[in-house]
Amino acid sequence: MTLPAAGTSQSRRTLPFANTDRLPEYTIAQGERVRLGASVQQTRGSVQDRAQHEGKSRRSMSMAPARRAAQALTAPVRGLAELLLLPRGRYARAFENLILALIVLSVASIGVETIPGLPGWAARALRIEEIVVVGVFSLEYLLRIVAAAEKRAFIVSFNGLVDLLAIAPFFLAGFDTRWLRLLRWLRLLRVLKLQTHILEATVAERTRELADKNAALERAQAQIKAELEVARALQMAILPAAFPATAGCDGAARMIPATTMGGDFYDFIELPDGRIGLVIADVSGKGVPAAFFMAVARTNLRDLAAHHADPGACLAETNEVLCTQNPLDLFVTVFYCVFDPGSGVLTYANGGHNPPYVHHPDGSVETLDGAGGLALGVMPGVVFPDHTTRLLPGDRLLLYTDGVTEAFNPSDEAYGTQRLLAEVQAPGDGAAAALIERICRSVTSFAGTAPQSDDITLTVLTRKAP
Amino acid sequence: MNVRFERLALTTLVIPEGRLDFGAAAAFQRHIEEVLAGAATASAAVIIDCSALDYVSSAGLRVFLLAARAAQRAGTSFALCALKPAVREVFELSGFSRIICVHTDRATALASAPREPA
Repeated sequence: MTLPAAGTSQSRRTLPFANTDRLPEYTIAQGERVRLGASVQQTRGSVQDRAQHEGKSRRSMSMAPARRAAQALTAPVRGLAELLLLPRGRYARAFENLILALIVLSVASIGVETIPGLPGWAARALRIEEIVVVGVFSLEYLLRIVAAAEKRAFIVSFNGLVDLLAIAPFFLAGFDTRWLRLLRWLRLLRVLKLQTHILEATVAERTRELADKNAALERAQAQIKAELEVARALQMAILPAAFPATAGCDGAARMIPATTMGGDFYDFIELPDGRIGLVIADVSGKGVPAAFFMAVARTNLRDLAAHHADPGACLAETNEVLCTQNPLDLFVTVFYCVFDPGSGVLTYANGGHNPPYVHHPDGSVETLDGAGGLALGVMPGVVFPDHTTRLLPGDRLLLYTDGVTEAFNPSDEAYGTQRLLAEVQAPGDGAAAALIERICRSVTSFAGTAPQSDDITLTVLTRKAP
Repeated sequence: MNVRFERLALTTLVIPEGRLDFGAAAAFQRHIEEVLAGAATASAAVIIDCSALDYVSSAGLRVFLLAARAAQRAGTSFALCALKPAVREVFELSGFSRIICVHTDRATALASAPREPA
Protein backbone atom coordinates (compact mmCIF):
# COMPACT_ATOMS: atom_id res chain seq x y z
CA MET A 1 0.00 0.00 0.00
CA THR A 2 1.40 3.39 -0.94
CA LEU A 3 1.00 6.48 1.16
CA PRO A 4 -0.93 9.29 -0.54
CA ALA A 5 0.92 12.54 -1.11
CA ALA A 6 -0.04 15.39 1.22
CA GLY A 7 -2.74 17.66 -0.12
CA THR A 8 -4.20 15.10 -2.48
CA SER A 9 -7.80 14.14 -2.39
CA GLN A 10 -6.74 10.97 -0.52
CA SER A 11 -5.44 12.94 2.45
CA ARG A 12 -8.54 15.12 2.46
CA ARG A 13 -10.68 12.05 2.44
CA THR A 14 -9.25 10.79 5.71
CA LEU A 15 -9.59 14.11 7.49
CA PRO A 16 -13.34 14.24 8.04
CA PHE A 17 -13.13 11.07 10.14
CA ALA A 18 -10.15 12.30 12.13
CA ASN A 19 -11.59 15.68 13.08
CA THR A 20 -15.14 16.39 12.12
CA ASP A 21 -15.14 19.88 13.57
CA ARG A 22 -12.55 20.97 11.05
CA LEU A 23 -14.43 19.56 8.13
CA PRO A 24 -15.95 22.80 6.79
CA GLU A 25 -12.45 24.19 6.21
CA TYR A 26 -11.84 21.51 3.55
CA THR A 27 -13.33 21.49 0.17
CA ILE A 28 -14.65 18.22 -1.08
CA ALA A 29 -14.91 18.01 -4.83
CA GLN A 30 -18.30 17.24 -6.24
CA GLY A 31 -17.17 13.94 -7.82
CA GLU A 32 -15.46 12.80 -4.67
CA ARG A 33 -18.45 13.28 -2.44
CA VAL A 34 -20.20 10.49 -4.26
CA ARG A 35 -17.33 8.12 -3.67
CA LEU A 36 -17.02 8.99 -0.02
CA GLY A 37 -20.41 7.55 0.65
CA ALA A 38 -23.18 8.22 3.07
CA SER A 39 -21.17 8.17 6.30
CA VAL A 40 -19.30 11.34 5.40
CA GLN A 41 -22.47 13.00 4.28
CA GLN A 42 -23.99 12.19 7.62
CA THR A 43 -20.94 13.45 9.47
CA ARG A 44 -21.12 16.72 7.59
CA GLY A 45 -24.80 16.97 8.27
CA SER A 46 -24.46 16.42 11.96
CA VAL A 47 -21.60 18.88 12.23
CA GLN A 48 -23.71 21.53 10.56
CA ASP A 49 -26.63 20.74 12.86
CA ARG A 50 -24.43 21.04 15.87
CA ALA A 51 -23.04 24.34 14.68
CA GLN A 52 -26.56 25.68 14.17
CA HIS A 53 -27.61 24.35 17.53
CA GLU A 54 -24.63 25.94 19.26
CA GLY A 55 -25.36 29.21 17.52
CA LYS A 56 -28.91 29.13 18.79
CA SER A 57 -27.90 28.30 22.36
CA ARG A 58 -25.33 31.05 22.29
CA ARG A 59 -28.09 33.49 21.44
CA SER A 60 -30.38 32.15 24.13
CA MET A 61 -27.57 32.29 26.69
CA SER A 62 -27.30 35.98 26.35
CA MET A 63 -31.04 36.38 26.65
CA ALA A 64 -31.94 34.06 29.58
CA PRO A 65 -29.23 33.21 32.13
CA ALA A 66 -31.77 31.42 34.34
CA ARG A 67 -32.68 28.97 31.58
CA ARG A 68 -29.00 28.32 30.95
CA ALA A 69 -28.53 27.42 34.63
CA ALA A 70 -31.56 25.17 34.47
CA GLN A 71 -30.16 23.46 31.37
CA ALA A 72 -26.81 22.89 33.08
CA LEU A 73 -28.62 21.23 35.97
CA THR A 74 -30.82 19.02 33.82
CA ALA A 75 -28.17 16.46 32.90
CA PRO A 76 -27.04 15.51 36.44
CA VAL A 77 -30.63 15.49 37.71
CA ARG A 78 -31.65 13.29 34.83
CA GLY A 79 -28.73 10.97 35.61
CA LEU A 80 -29.79 10.80 39.24
CA ALA A 81 -33.36 10.03 38.21
CA GLU A 82 -32.16 7.16 36.03
CA LEU A 83 -30.07 5.73 38.87
CA LEU A 84 -32.87 5.90 41.44
CA LEU A 85 -36.16 5.50 39.59
CA LEU A 86 -35.87 3.39 36.46
CA PRO A 87 -36.58 -0.32 37.03
CA ARG A 88 -33.08 -1.12 35.68
CA GLY A 89 -31.48 1.79 37.62
CA ARG A 90 -28.49 0.89 39.75
CA TYR A 91 -29.97 2.10 43.07
CA ALA A 92 -33.65 1.70 42.17
CA ARG A 93 -34.25 -1.16 44.56
CA ALA A 94 -32.40 0.50 47.45
CA PHE A 95 -34.28 3.75 46.88
CA GLU A 96 -37.64 1.99 46.81
CA ASN A 97 -36.77 0.20 50.04
CA LEU A 98 -35.96 3.56 51.62
CA ILE A 99 -39.31 4.95 50.47
CA LEU A 100 -41.04 1.84 51.80
CA ALA A 101 -39.36 2.25 55.20
CA LEU A 102 -40.29 5.95 55.31
CA ILE A 103 -43.93 5.21 54.50
CA VAL A 104 -44.13 2.72 57.36
CA LEU A 105 -42.31 5.11 59.71
CA SER A 106 -44.50 8.02 58.73
CA VAL A 107 -47.75 6.12 59.24
CA ALA A 108 -46.49 4.63 62.50
CA SER A 109 -45.72 8.14 63.75
CA ILE A 110 -49.43 8.93 63.62
CA GLY A 111 -50.01 6.41 66.36
CA VAL A 112 -46.99 7.47 68.40
CA GLU A 113 -48.00 11.13 68.31
CA THR A 114 -51.37 10.34 69.91
CA ILE A 115 -49.70 8.86 72.99
CA PRO A 116 -50.49 11.25 75.85
CA GLY A 117 -47.56 12.76 77.76
CA LEU A 118 -45.02 12.10 74.99
CA PRO A 119 -41.60 13.39 76.10
CA GLY A 120 -40.31 16.52 74.36
CA TRP A 121 -37.35 14.75 72.69
CA ALA A 122 -39.70 12.17 71.17
CA ALA A 123 -41.90 14.87 69.71
CA ARG A 124 -38.83 16.58 68.27
CA ALA A 125 -37.62 13.28 66.77
CA LEU A 126 -41.02 12.79 65.16
CA ARG A 127 -40.83 16.27 63.63
CA ILE A 128 -37.32 15.58 62.23
CA GLU A 129 -38.61 12.30 60.89
CA GLU A 130 -41.50 14.07 59.17
CA ILE A 131 -39.09 16.59 57.62
CA VAL A 132 -36.87 13.75 56.31
CA VAL A 133 -39.91 11.95 54.90
CA VAL A 134 -41.22 15.06 53.19
CA GLY A 135 -37.69 15.90 51.95
CA VAL A 136 -37.09 12.49 50.39
CA PHE A 137 -40.61 12.33 48.92
CA SER A 138 -40.24 15.83 47.47
CA LEU A 139 -36.92 14.91 45.90
CA GLU A 140 -38.49 11.80 44.42
CA TYR A 141 -41.47 13.81 43.07
CA LEU A 142 -39.09 16.28 41.47
CA LEU A 143 -36.97 13.54 39.92
CA ARG A 144 -40.05 11.83 38.53
CA ILE A 145 -41.16 15.01 36.84
CA VAL A 146 -37.68 15.49 35.37
CA ALA A 147 -37.53 11.88 34.19
CA ALA A 148 -41.04 11.87 32.72
CA ALA A 149 -41.22 12.29 28.96
CA GLU A 150 -44.70 13.81 29.24
CA LYS A 151 -44.40 15.95 32.37
CA ARG A 152 -47.97 17.24 32.43
CA ALA A 153 -49.33 13.77 31.85
CA PHE A 154 -47.29 12.51 34.79
CA ILE A 155 -48.47 15.25 37.15
CA VAL A 156 -52.15 14.47 36.51
CA SER A 157 -51.64 10.69 36.42
CA PHE A 158 -52.63 8.45 39.35
CA ASN A 159 -48.98 8.03 40.38
CA GLY A 160 -48.32 11.76 40.11
CA LEU A 161 -51.35 12.59 42.26
CA VAL A 162 -50.41 9.97 44.87
CA ASP A 163 -46.91 11.41 45.09
CA LEU A 164 -48.31 14.91 45.44
CA LEU A 165 -50.82 13.86 48.13
CA ALA A 166 -47.94 12.35 50.13
CA ILE A 167 -46.21 15.70 50.47
CA ALA A 168 -48.75 18.44 49.73
CA PRO A 169 -50.47 18.34 53.15
CA PHE A 170 -47.16 19.21 54.85
CA PHE A 171 -46.50 22.19 52.60
CA LEU A 172 -50.09 23.42 53.08
CA ALA A 173 -50.54 22.86 56.83
CA GLY A 174 -47.14 21.95 58.33
CA PHE A 175 -47.12 19.31 61.05
CA ASP A 176 -50.87 19.36 61.74
CA THR A 177 -51.73 16.96 58.94
CA ARG A 178 -51.49 13.83 60.99
CA TRP A 179 -54.41 11.88 59.49
CA LEU A 180 -53.68 12.97 55.92
CA ARG A 181 -50.39 11.08 56.25
CA LEU A 182 -52.45 7.91 55.90
CA LEU A 183 -52.65 8.79 52.19
CA ARG A 184 -49.01 7.71 52.03
CA TRP A 185 -50.16 4.09 52.14
CA LEU A 186 -51.19 4.62 48.52
CA ARG A 187 -47.49 4.98 47.69
CA LEU A 188 -47.10 1.25 48.41
CA LEU A 189 -48.82 0.58 45.09
CA ARG A 190 -45.89 2.08 43.24
CA VAL A 191 -43.37 0.01 45.21
CA LEU A 192 -45.21 -3.19 44.31
CA LYS A 193 -45.32 -2.12 40.68
CA LEU A 194 -41.59 -1.49 40.62
CA GLN A 195 -40.85 -4.92 42.11
CA THR A 196 -42.89 -6.48 39.31
CA HIS A 197 -40.98 -4.42 36.76
CA ILE A 198 -37.65 -5.56 38.15
CA LEU A 199 -38.79 -9.17 38.10
CA GLU A 200 -40.02 -8.86 34.53
CA ALA A 201 -36.80 -7.19 33.44
CA THR A 202 -34.77 -10.02 35.03
CA VAL A 203 -36.89 -12.70 33.38
CA ALA A 204 -36.63 -10.92 30.02
CA GLU A 205 -32.87 -10.71 30.38
CA ARG A 206 -32.52 -14.39 31.27
CA THR A 207 -34.76 -15.31 28.34
CA ARG A 208 -32.60 -13.25 26.02
CA GLU A 209 -29.40 -14.85 27.35
CA LEU A 210 -30.90 -18.28 26.86
CA ALA A 211 -31.96 -17.43 23.32
CA ASP A 212 -28.44 -16.14 22.57
CA LYS A 213 -26.84 -19.33 23.88
CA ASN A 214 -29.33 -21.40 21.93
CA ALA A 215 -28.51 -19.51 18.76
CA ALA A 216 -24.77 -20.02 19.36
CA LEU A 217 -25.34 -23.76 19.87
CA GLU A 218 -27.40 -23.95 16.71
CA ARG A 219 -24.70 -22.16 14.76
CA ALA A 220 -22.04 -24.56 16.11
CA GLN A 221 -24.19 -27.56 15.27
CA ALA A 222 -24.90 -26.27 11.78
CA GLN A 223 -21.17 -25.83 11.22
CA ILE A 224 -20.37 -29.37 12.40
CA LYS A 225 -23.16 -30.69 10.21
CA ALA A 226 -21.87 -28.77 7.19
CA GLU A 227 -18.33 -30.07 7.78
CA LEU A 228 -19.59 -33.64 8.10
CA GLU A 229 -21.50 -33.23 4.84
CA VAL A 230 -18.29 -32.12 3.13
CA ALA A 231 -16.42 -35.07 4.66
CA ARG A 232 -19.17 -37.41 3.50
CA ALA A 233 -18.97 -36.02 -0.03
CA LEU A 234 -15.17 -36.53 0.05
CA GLN A 235 -15.59 -40.09 1.29
CA MET A 236 -18.13 -40.93 -1.41
CA ALA A 237 -15.86 -39.32 -4.00
CA ILE A 238 -12.96 -41.71 -3.28
CA LEU A 239 -15.22 -44.70 -3.97
CA PRO A 240 -15.18 -45.54 -7.68
CA ALA A 241 -18.30 -44.24 -9.38
CA ALA A 242 -18.32 -46.86 -12.15
CA PHE A 243 -16.93 -50.27 -12.96
CA PRO A 244 -13.96 -50.05 -15.37
CA ALA A 245 -15.15 -50.78 -18.90
CA THR A 246 -13.93 -54.29 -19.57
CA ALA A 247 -14.88 -56.73 -22.30
CA GLY A 248 -16.54 -59.86 -21.01
CA CYS A 249 -17.69 -58.67 -17.61
CA ASP A 250 -19.83 -56.10 -15.90
CA GLY A 251 -19.79 -54.78 -12.37
CA ALA A 252 -21.61 -52.41 -10.07
CA ALA A 253 -21.48 -51.37 -6.41
CA ARG A 254 -23.27 -49.26 -3.84
CA MET A 255 -22.54 -48.06 -0.31
CA ILE A 256 -25.26 -46.61 1.95
CA PRO A 257 -23.72 -45.30 5.19
CA ALA A 258 -25.74 -45.63 8.42
CA THR A 259 -24.39 -42.37 9.83
CA THR A 260 -23.12 -39.42 7.83
CA MET A 261 -19.74 -41.09 7.52
CA GLY A 262 -19.45 -44.77 6.69
CA GLY A 263 -16.91 -47.43 7.64
CA ASP A 264 -17.66 -49.72 4.71
CA PHE A 265 -15.99 -49.44 1.34
CA TYR A 266 -15.67 -51.17 -1.99
CA ASP A 267 -13.17 -50.73 -4.77
CA PHE A 268 -12.54 -51.71 -8.37
CA ILE A 269 -8.83 -51.79 -9.19
CA GLU A 270 -7.48 -52.09 -12.73
CA LEU A 271 -4.29 -54.13 -12.33
CA PRO A 272 -1.26 -53.75 -14.63
CA ASP A 273 -1.72 -57.28 -16.03
CA GLY A 274 -5.25 -56.51 -17.28
CA ARG A 275 -7.03 -58.26 -14.42
CA ILE A 276 -9.52 -56.44 -12.22
CA GLY A 277 -9.35 -56.34 -8.44
CA LEU A 278 -12.61 -56.20 -6.45
CA VAL A 279 -12.65 -55.20 -2.80
CA ILE A 280 -15.37 -55.09 -0.19
CA ALA A 281 -14.54 -54.11 3.38
CA ASP A 282 -16.14 -53.23 6.71
CA VAL A 283 -14.35 -51.19 9.38
CA SER A 284 -15.34 -51.87 13.00
CA GLY A 285 -17.51 -49.13 14.48
CA LYS A 286 -19.10 -46.16 12.78
CA GLY A 287 -18.77 -42.45 12.20
CA VAL A 288 -15.68 -40.31 11.75
CA PRO A 289 -13.08 -42.73 13.28
CA ALA A 290 -14.30 -45.59 11.09
CA ALA A 291 -14.35 -43.29 8.06
CA PHE A 292 -10.73 -42.25 8.65
CA PHE A 293 -9.60 -45.84 9.05
CA MET A 294 -11.57 -46.74 5.94
CA ALA A 295 -9.71 -44.10 3.92
CA VAL A 296 -6.33 -45.32 5.21
CA ALA A 297 -7.19 -48.98 4.53
CA ARG A 298 -8.60 -48.31 1.09
CA THR A 299 -5.61 -46.20 -0.01
CA ASN A 300 -3.02 -48.70 1.24
CA LEU A 301 -4.82 -51.67 -0.29
CA ARG A 302 -5.18 -49.92 -3.65
CA ASP A 303 -1.49 -48.91 -3.69
CA LEU A 304 -0.27 -52.39 -2.71
CA ALA A 305 -2.60 -54.19 -5.12
CA ALA A 306 -0.50 -53.04 -8.09
CA HIS A 307 2.57 -54.74 -6.59
CA HIS A 308 1.07 -58.09 -5.62
CA ALA A 309 -0.31 -60.60 -8.08
CA ASP A 310 -1.80 -62.68 -5.26
CA PRO A 311 -4.62 -61.26 -3.14
CA GLY A 312 -3.35 -63.04 0.00
CA ALA A 313 0.08 -61.39 -0.18
CA CYS A 314 -1.58 -58.04 -0.81
CA LEU A 315 -3.81 -58.40 2.27
CA ALA A 316 -0.85 -59.52 4.38
CA GLU A 317 1.17 -56.45 3.51
CA THR A 318 -1.83 -54.13 3.91
CA ASN A 319 -2.32 -55.66 7.36
CA GLU A 320 1.29 -54.91 8.30
CA VAL A 321 0.86 -51.28 7.27
CA LEU A 322 -2.50 -50.90 9.06
CA CYS A 323 -1.11 -52.33 12.30
CA THR A 324 1.39 -49.47 12.41
CA GLN A 325 -1.27 -46.80 11.69
CA ASN A 326 -3.94 -47.85 14.13
CA PRO A 327 -4.01 -45.74 17.31
CA LEU A 328 -7.69 -46.53 18.00
CA ASP A 329 -7.34 -50.31 17.70
CA LEU A 330 -9.85 -50.45 14.88
CA PHE A 331 -9.87 -53.30 12.42
CA VAL A 332 -11.33 -53.96 9.00
CA THR A 333 -12.71 -57.12 7.47
CA VAL A 334 -11.71 -57.32 3.80
CA PHE A 335 -12.59 -59.63 0.95
CA TYR A 336 -10.25 -59.09 -1.97
CA CYS A 337 -10.49 -60.97 -5.26
CA VAL A 338 -8.76 -60.63 -8.60
CA PHE A 339 -10.72 -61.52 -11.72
CA ASP A 340 -9.26 -62.39 -15.10
CA PRO A 341 -11.91 -61.37 -17.65
CA GLY A 342 -10.34 -63.53 -20.35
CA SER A 343 -10.20 -66.88 -18.56
CA GLY A 344 -12.82 -66.24 -15.88
CA VAL A 345 -10.35 -67.25 -13.15
CA LEU A 346 -11.08 -65.64 -9.81
CA THR A 347 -8.37 -65.61 -7.14
CA TYR A 348 -9.39 -64.45 -3.71
CA ALA A 349 -8.31 -64.06 -0.10
CA ASN A 350 -10.51 -63.32 2.88
CA GLY A 351 -9.54 -61.10 5.80
CA GLY A 352 -12.35 -61.99 8.20
CA HIS A 353 -15.19 -60.93 5.90
CA ASN A 354 -18.58 -62.57 5.15
CA PRO A 355 -17.99 -65.10 2.38
CA PRO A 356 -19.45 -63.90 -0.94
CA TYR A 357 -21.90 -65.83 -3.09
CA VAL A 358 -21.66 -66.99 -6.67
CA HIS A 359 -24.99 -67.34 -8.48
CA HIS A 360 -24.93 -69.72 -11.43
CA PRO A 361 -27.25 -69.45 -14.42
CA ASP A 362 -28.96 -72.72 -13.35
CA GLY A 363 -30.19 -70.95 -10.20
CA SER A 364 -27.81 -72.63 -7.76
CA VAL A 365 -25.80 -70.52 -5.31
CA GLU A 366 -22.30 -71.30 -4.16
CA THR A 367 -20.57 -69.79 -1.12
CA LEU A 368 -16.96 -68.75 -1.61
CA ASP A 369 -15.81 -70.43 1.57
CA GLY A 370 -12.32 -71.51 2.29
CA ALA A 371 -10.10 -70.85 5.25
CA GLY A 372 -10.04 -67.12 5.84
CA GLY A 373 -7.56 -64.96 7.62
CA LEU A 374 -8.07 -62.58 10.48
CA ALA A 375 -9.56 -59.10 10.06
CA LEU A 376 -6.86 -56.57 9.10
CA GLY A 377 -5.36 -54.27 11.71
CA VAL A 378 -5.73 -56.71 14.63
CA MET A 379 -2.15 -58.00 14.78
CA PRO A 380 0.85 -58.23 12.47
CA GLY A 381 2.23 -61.41 10.98
CA VAL A 382 -1.08 -62.85 9.78
CA VAL A 383 -1.15 -65.13 6.71
CA PHE A 384 -4.04 -64.89 4.26
CA PRO A 385 -4.38 -68.03 2.13
CA ASP A 386 -5.23 -67.65 -1.56
CA HIS A 387 -8.10 -69.58 -3.13
CA THR A 388 -8.99 -69.96 -6.78
CA THR A 389 -12.26 -70.62 -8.58
CA ARG A 390 -13.60 -69.95 -12.05
CA LEU A 391 -16.59 -67.84 -13.05
CA LEU A 392 -18.41 -69.30 -16.03
CA PRO A 393 -20.30 -67.14 -18.49
CA GLY A 394 -23.53 -65.95 -16.81
CA ASP A 395 -22.15 -66.42 -13.28
CA ARG A 396 -22.70 -63.55 -10.86
CA LEU A 397 -20.46 -62.84 -7.88
CA LEU A 398 -22.10 -60.99 -4.97
CA LEU A 399 -19.99 -59.33 -2.29
CA TYR A 400 -21.79 -57.74 0.66
CA THR A 401 -21.24 -56.43 4.18
CA ASP A 402 -23.21 -57.55 7.24
CA GLY A 403 -25.17 -54.28 7.12
CA VAL A 404 -27.29 -56.07 4.50
CA THR A 405 -28.03 -59.32 6.34
CA GLU A 406 -28.17 -57.57 9.73
CA ALA A 407 -30.60 -54.85 8.70
CA PHE A 408 -33.36 -55.05 11.32
CA ASN A 409 -37.06 -54.34 10.94
CA PRO A 410 -39.23 -52.69 13.62
CA SER A 411 -39.98 -56.17 15.10
CA ASP A 412 -36.22 -56.67 15.60
CA GLU A 413 -35.91 -59.39 12.97
CA ALA A 414 -32.77 -59.47 10.82
CA TYR A 415 -32.97 -59.38 7.02
CA GLY A 416 -30.79 -62.50 6.95
CA THR A 417 -29.10 -64.49 4.22
CA GLN A 418 -32.30 -66.29 3.14
CA ARG A 419 -33.97 -63.06 1.99
CA LEU A 420 -30.72 -61.94 0.34
CA LEU A 421 -30.40 -65.20 -1.59
CA ALA A 422 -34.06 -65.06 -2.59
CA GLU A 423 -33.39 -61.68 -4.28
CA VAL A 424 -30.28 -63.06 -5.99
CA GLN A 425 -32.21 -66.05 -7.31
CA ALA A 426 -35.32 -64.10 -8.30
CA PRO A 427 -35.91 -63.92 -12.06
CA GLY A 428 -35.44 -60.56 -13.71
CA ASP A 429 -32.81 -58.26 -15.12
CA GLY A 430 -29.47 -60.03 -14.69
CA ALA A 431 -27.31 -56.92 -14.99
CA ALA A 432 -25.08 -56.10 -12.00
CA ALA A 433 -26.60 -52.67 -11.38
CA ALA A 434 -30.14 -54.04 -11.59
CA LEU A 435 -29.40 -56.75 -8.99
CA ILE A 436 -27.93 -54.20 -6.58
CA GLU A 437 -30.92 -51.94 -7.06
CA ARG A 438 -33.30 -54.86 -6.38
CA ILE A 439 -31.48 -55.93 -3.18
CA CYS A 440 -31.31 -52.36 -1.87
CA ARG A 441 -35.06 -51.89 -2.44
CA SER A 442 -35.77 -55.19 -0.73
CA VAL A 443 -33.62 -54.34 2.33
CA THR A 444 -35.09 -50.84 2.61
CA SER A 445 -38.68 -52.05 2.43
CA PHE A 446 -37.92 -54.82 4.95
CA ALA A 447 -36.35 -52.41 7.46
CA GLY A 448 -39.30 -50.02 7.09
CA THR A 449 -39.27 -47.41 9.83
CA ALA A 450 -36.45 -49.06 11.82
CA PRO A 451 -33.27 -46.92 11.84
CA GLN A 452 -30.37 -48.22 9.74
CA SER A 453 -27.89 -49.58 12.29
CA ASP A 454 -24.96 -50.40 10.01
CA ASP A 455 -23.54 -49.36 6.65
CA ILE A 456 -24.98 -51.30 3.73
CA THR A 457 -22.56 -52.15 0.91
CA LEU A 458 -22.97 -54.39 -2.11
CA THR A 459 -20.74 -55.23 -5.05
CA VAL A 460 -21.71 -57.45 -7.98
CA LEU A 461 -19.53 -58.84 -10.76
CA THR A 462 -21.08 -60.73 -13.66
CA ARG A 463 -19.24 -62.67 -16.33
CA LYS A 464 -21.18 -62.03 -19.49
CA ALA A 465 -22.36 -64.86 -21.67
CA PRO A 466 -20.36 -64.83 -24.93
CA MET B 1 -27.89 -54.23 26.82
CA ASN B 2 -27.74 -55.54 30.40
CA VAL B 3 -24.61 -56.97 32.05
CA ARG B 4 -24.56 -59.26 35.11
CA PHE B 5 -21.56 -60.32 37.14
CA GLU B 6 -20.85 -63.48 39.13
CA ARG B 7 -17.94 -64.38 41.32
CA LEU B 8 -16.75 -68.01 41.61
CA ALA B 9 -13.66 -68.33 43.78
CA LEU B 10 -10.93 -66.50 41.83
CA THR B 11 -12.91 -66.19 38.63
CA THR B 12 -15.15 -63.28 37.59
CA LEU B 13 -17.96 -64.15 35.22
CA VAL B 14 -19.31 -61.36 33.03
CA ILE B 15 -22.72 -62.14 31.53
CA PRO B 16 -23.83 -59.71 28.79
CA GLU B 17 -27.47 -59.99 27.76
CA GLY B 18 -29.07 -58.85 24.49
CA ARG B 19 -27.38 -57.07 21.62
CA LEU B 20 -23.80 -55.83 21.72
CA ASP B 21 -23.90 -53.27 18.92
CA PHE B 22 -22.29 -49.89 18.27
CA GLY B 23 -24.55 -48.17 20.81
CA ALA B 24 -23.84 -50.67 23.60
CA ALA B 25 -20.12 -51.15 22.92
CA ALA B 26 -18.78 -48.18 24.91
CA ALA B 27 -20.70 -49.07 28.08
CA PHE B 28 -19.74 -52.75 27.82
CA GLN B 29 -16.11 -51.76 27.35
CA ARG B 30 -16.21 -49.78 30.62
CA HIS B 31 -17.69 -52.80 32.46
CA ILE B 32 -14.96 -55.09 31.16
CA GLU B 33 -12.22 -52.59 31.97
CA GLU B 34 -13.48 -52.34 35.57
CA VAL B 35 -13.58 -56.11 35.92
CA LEU B 36 -10.09 -56.48 34.47
CA ALA B 37 -8.76 -53.76 36.78
CA GLY B 38 -10.23 -55.65 39.75
CA ALA B 39 -9.03 -58.99 38.39
CA ALA B 40 -5.42 -57.84 38.33
CA THR B 41 -5.35 -58.03 42.12
CA ALA B 42 -8.26 -60.16 43.29
CA SER B 43 -9.08 -62.69 40.62
CA ALA B 44 -7.25 -65.17 38.49
CA ALA B 45 -9.56 -65.25 35.50
CA VAL B 46 -12.24 -63.37 33.63
CA ILE B 47 -14.80 -65.38 31.66
CA ILE B 48 -17.41 -63.79 29.43
CA ASP B 49 -20.46 -66.02 29.47
CA CYS B 50 -22.21 -65.28 26.15
CA SER B 51 -25.19 -67.60 26.67
CA ALA B 52 -27.56 -64.59 26.74
CA LEU B 53 -25.80 -62.59 24.04
CA ASP B 54 -27.94 -62.46 20.88
CA TYR B 55 -25.84 -60.33 18.56
CA VAL B 56 -22.35 -58.87 18.27
CA SER B 57 -21.50 -56.15 15.76
CA SER B 58 -18.00 -55.26 14.61
CA ALA B 59 -17.87 -52.55 17.29
CA GLY B 60 -18.67 -55.28 19.85
CA LEU B 61 -15.95 -57.53 18.46
CA ARG B 62 -13.52 -54.69 19.00
CA VAL B 63 -14.39 -54.58 22.72
CA PHE B 64 -13.58 -58.30 23.04
CA LEU B 65 -10.32 -57.77 21.17
CA LEU B 66 -9.30 -54.86 23.44
CA ALA B 67 -10.26 -56.87 26.54
CA ALA B 68 -8.23 -59.89 25.42
CA ARG B 69 -5.21 -57.66 24.82
CA ALA B 70 -5.56 -55.88 28.17
CA ALA B 71 -5.91 -59.23 29.97
CA GLN B 72 -2.82 -60.54 28.23
CA ARG B 73 -0.83 -57.48 29.31
CA ALA B 74 -2.04 -57.86 32.90
CA GLY B 75 -1.38 -61.59 32.95
CA THR B 76 -5.06 -62.36 33.58
CA SER B 77 -6.67 -65.39 31.99
CA PHE B 78 -9.44 -64.30 29.60
CA ALA B 79 -11.95 -66.48 27.77
CA LEU B 80 -15.40 -66.54 26.22
CA CYS B 81 -17.91 -69.34 26.55
CA ALA B 82 -21.35 -70.54 25.49
CA LEU B 83 -21.64 -68.53 22.27
CA LYS B 84 -24.98 -68.67 20.46
CA PRO B 85 -24.71 -69.82 16.81
CA ALA B 86 -25.10 -66.29 15.35
CA VAL B 87 -22.42 -64.88 17.64
CA ARG B 88 -20.15 -67.90 17.07
CA GLU B 89 -20.42 -67.30 13.32
CA VAL B 90 -19.30 -63.67 13.71
CA PHE B 91 -16.27 -64.78 15.74
CA GLU B 92 -15.36 -67.47 13.24
CA LEU B 93 -15.81 -65.34 10.11
CA SER B 94 -13.74 -62.48 11.47
CA GLY B 95 -11.02 -64.87 12.58
CA PHE B 96 -11.37 -63.72 16.19
CA SER B 97 -12.12 -67.23 17.48
CA ARG B 98 -8.51 -68.02 16.55
CA ILE B 99 -6.99 -65.28 18.71
CA ILE B 100 -9.46 -65.22 21.62
CA CYS B 101 -9.98 -68.33 23.71
CA VAL B 102 -13.57 -69.60 23.20
CA HIS B 103 -15.08 -72.49 25.18
CA THR B 104 -18.26 -74.36 24.29
CA ASP B 105 -19.85 -73.96 27.74
CA ARG B 106 -19.34 -72.48 31.17
CA ALA B 107 -18.19 -75.73 32.81
CA THR B 108 -15.38 -76.17 30.30
CA ALA B 109 -14.35 -72.55 30.71
CA LEU B 110 -14.26 -72.83 34.51
CA ALA B 111 -12.35 -76.12 34.31
CA SER B 112 -9.61 -74.51 32.25
CA ALA B 113 -9.40 -71.34 34.35
CA PRO B 114 -6.29 -71.23 36.58
CA ARG B 115 -6.84 -72.30 40.21
CA GLU B 116 -4.16 -70.11 41.74
CA PRO B 117 -3.70 -66.36 41.38
CA ALA B 118 -1.52 -65.59 38.39
